[in-house]
Amino acid sequence: MNVVVTALLDLGYILIFPGFLFCFLCGMLLCGIERKIVAKMQKRVGPPILQPVFDFFKLCGKETIIPAGTSRTVFLAAPVVGLAALVVIQLFIPIFNFTAFSGNADIIVILYLLLIPALAEIYGASSTGSPFAGVGLSREMVTIISCELPLVLVLLAVGKAVGNATGSGVVFSLQTIAAYQAENGCLLFKLSMIPAAIAFLLIIPGETGTHPFDAAEAETEICEGMLAEYSGKPLAVFKLSHAIKMLTMTTLFVALFLGGLGTGILLADGLIDFFFCVVITVCVVALIDASTARLRIEQIFKYYWTVVSGLAAISLVLAWFGL
Amino acid sequence: MSNFMNYVHFPIYSVMVLFLGAFLIVVLGKSKMLRSLIALLASGCSLACMIALIKPVMLNGEVIAYWMGSRALAGGYAIGIAMEVDALSLFFGLLISTAVFVSCVYSIQYMSHDDNIPQYFTLFLMLAGGVMGLVLSGDIFNMFIMVEILTFAAVALTAFRNKVYGALEAAFKYLVVGCMGSTCILAGVIVLYANAHTLNFAQLSSIIPGMMGNTSVKIAFALLFVGFSTKAFLVPFHPLAADAHGAAPASISVLISGVLTKSGIYGIIRLTYFLFQTMNLGTFRFLLVFVGCVSMFLCVTMALAQHDFKRLLAFHSISQIGYVMTAVGLCTALGFSSGIYHAMNHTLFKGLLFLAAGAVLHETGTTNLDELGGLSRKMPHTTVLFLIGAFSISGIPPFNGFASKWLIYQACYQKAVESGNFAYVVVTVICLVTSVLTLASFVKVSQSVFFGRLPEKYENVKEVPWGMRLAMGMFAVLCVVTGLFPDAVGRYLTHPAATAAFNVSNYIDSMLGAGAASEALGPFVSGAQNVVFVQPGVWSPVSWLLIMCIALLAVTLVAVSSRYDRYKAPEGPADAKHSLFFSGEEAVYSQVGGSDLFWGFKYNWRHYFSFMHDLHSGILNDYALWAAVALALAMLFMLIVL
Repeated sequence: MNVVVTALLDLGYILIFPGFLFCFLCGMLLCGIERKIVAKMQKRVGPPILQPVFDFFKLCGKETIIPAGTSRTVFLAAPVVGLAALVVIQLFIPIFNFTAFSGNADIIVILYLLLIPALAEIYGASSTGSPFAGVGLSREMVTIISCELPLVLVLLAVGKAVGNATGSGVVFSLQTIAAYQAENGCLLFKLSMIPAAIAFLLIIPGETGTHPFDAAEAETEICEGMLAEYSGKPLAVFKLSHAIKMLTMTTLFVALFLGGLGTGILLADGLIDFFFCVVITVCVVALIDASTARLRIEQIFKYYWTVVSGLAAISLVLAWFGL
Repeated sequence: MSNFMNYVHFPIYSVMVLFLGAFLIVVLGKSKMLRSLIALLASGCSLACMIALIKPVMLNGEVIAYWMGSRALAGGYAIGIAMEVDALSLFFGLLISTAVFVSCVYSIQYMSHDDNIPQYFTLFLMLAGGVMGLVLSGDIFNMFIMVEILTFAAVALTAFRNKVYGALEAAFKYLVVGCMGSTCILAGVIVLYANAHTLNFAQLSSIIPGMMGNTSVKIAFALLFVGFSTKAFLVPFHPLAADAHGAAPASISVLISGVLTKSGIYGIIRLTYFLFQTMNLGTFRFLLVFVGCVSMFLCVTMALAQHDFKRLLAFHSISQIGYVMTAVGLCTALGFSSGIYHAMNHTLFKGLLFLAAGAVLHETGTTNLDELGGLSRKMPHTTVLFLIGAFSISGIPPFNGFASKWLIYQACYQKAVESGNFAYVVVTVICLVTSVLTLASFVKVSQSVFFGRLPEKYENVKEVPWGMRLAMGMFAVLCVVTGLFPDAVGRYLTHPAATAAFNVSNYIDSMLGAGAASEALGPFVSGAQNVVFVQPGVWSPVSWLLIMCIALLAVTLVAVSSRYDRYKAPEGPADAKHSLFFSGEEAVYSQVGGSDLFWGFKYNWRHYFSFMHDLHSGILNDYALWAAVALALAMLFMLIVL
């Protein structure tokens, strides 16, 4: 009996909260809010907030065209794998003190899981043989490399800072980080962690591919690059993945730096978590998106490996000396 | 010798069958059937012997001391020829025999279009026997003999396809620098013998720690270290590997990268953990970690600049060996076990990748990344197998490369925190960044070989014969299994091996009789040390995989119910909407070539790349000079720092 209940509960986690349904709704909402805010900043009316949802269902109804000479399996499997990987990450990121599947993954695993959606998109695009996709995936890979160094530094800094405080040397478990923050307040309010937090905020637009770090998609230039050949349902799934990725990155920020603000009531925590995600999206992603122009790919790389990595490195060094 | 099936005889059998097979093929190799059978039997028996030893050596912790002709100790000195098999030797023995067996299965169909196949199999088994003998040998002079055998077999096999452009040149380079390495080993052995009057490993391990003040012993160490580095192709010997892999048949590349480099690693481990175990490890660690990090990073960037499939793999091979060296150099239980775990995984996934490269070469006749493309439709199985290898090496969960790299990161960072040394944080960051660069490089390979656009001349390419796919499949299954069950790998393979490496006294006692270690080493060793494997992070791949499966299933259900899969390719005349989008232009061939990918990265590093380009001149004199300089530096390091 117990097994059945556990299995049902797990299934509920996967399908409803914080799995598919939650990801779908919140991701789409975040995406809609972001578009609306960007429009407002540019003095446009902007689409309704539910526009991404409408887009999703509209795309689902469209014909799926598989270009001639494509390796079909990879082309169709790529979006599904990417989406599944994103939902799995979401299951591992704690929402304050609640984690759907605890004890399965630490931050290094999350770091590598985050590669899978991008990789799925790269392989999907690669399978078509389109030259636009070729340019797009080349740029996407460089963007991944760009973000990886600062992301690694941020994660190591957080691991060391929590490790210092808990006395265990080094901590990589997200649950421990969440538990530590619940007791001692958010890491964001720690002086040494502020540069890392800023660096992480700057990584979010790079990971989600919004302005000015959207060289990999660059609609006006290479026709959305990797998505150039996609249509219909696979495209809808990719669009959904992009929306969820924004949610994933923002919840990861909340888990790493704002972990101490939970109430202990799951529903309230979920709402607070989402609220923070919206705040970060509006204040960081939308603001930067609306006010900047696209960088060239080599500028993106340079920016991340110097400015952002520098910020993260400052935090790491500070944490190293126990500040 | 009453009972021939007693497991103490298995080590010598596993070496003997390989050499025996080599000679039998010379005699009986005319028939294709017979020589394939002999080669398969020999490598299979060798593998079986190794597997049979898992229980006594790995699980029960025995050390098999096997004296040839029952000539054991005489007057306290080990004068007979001995084989010593502890968990560490067995671990490497298992790796080697697995790789040899799979490569042998692959060779049978892969080499079927070549001339002189009997000679190929003879050399193949000689090489295998050489490496096998090296890791199981109990005295350092036999180790040298085996190094000679394997070096010459490897050189000959590199030049085996001597009609291929560059094969003879590569073999010649390898011959010269490889011989410099062998000479270093011989010189080191001579110096050790002059000082300690014995060649037996256990005895050396008990004598040398008392002689560490002696300058000539330090020099011997530097000589041996450089000698084994040439076998592992660590920086600065990496250009040889690139040339050799580029020219050699793929099945031999598997042996060179998966087996031969491991013999170098094994030699270095024996040196640092056994012979010189009381040397100032704190300082010495620096050398291993430094060489490891340089190899890891330099070779991954070199790989990014390559446009030949096999050369690219060759550089990655050294980059992964760099990981192993770094982890082993940490000198912690976790570091050591993760290092050899990665060594094992490297043999598996790099073997798989080389075999996939061989499959591409077999069908298309080229490995040039700029010429290939779109093979996934022609060779779907090879593509899937290649992807498994590519995901493994770039550390994508849940494949095996991730499992071991993840442990290495943990070990590095833990070491940094424990020792309070910030340099290890830098090492951790280098490890992590190297991993993503590896991924980039394999995205490049998949895009420019298996995906992307199919050039017209490859329209008639077929899938490779089943025997080759079978061999790749074996490696692929092992890649997945060792990735999914890291705990089991730890329990049965890497932890016993690490425990063996940290318990020198146990090793000495088993060879020279109980109490020999404490008598010789005294204060250094106090009984068997308890080796603890603590991990700061958590990862359980099986539950992860379960969740991933459920998630995939859910997505599939949604997809199927919404008719995701009912798409049928259009028949009849081609419709414009099904062709690729070229902005309305003529569908000219406008593929981004393999060399042109990742421009943004290469542009920022252009000075570095042009520097590297000038440095790797391809002139043998330069490489020989590097070897000499490396030796001089190693000696200086030993004399000044220690």
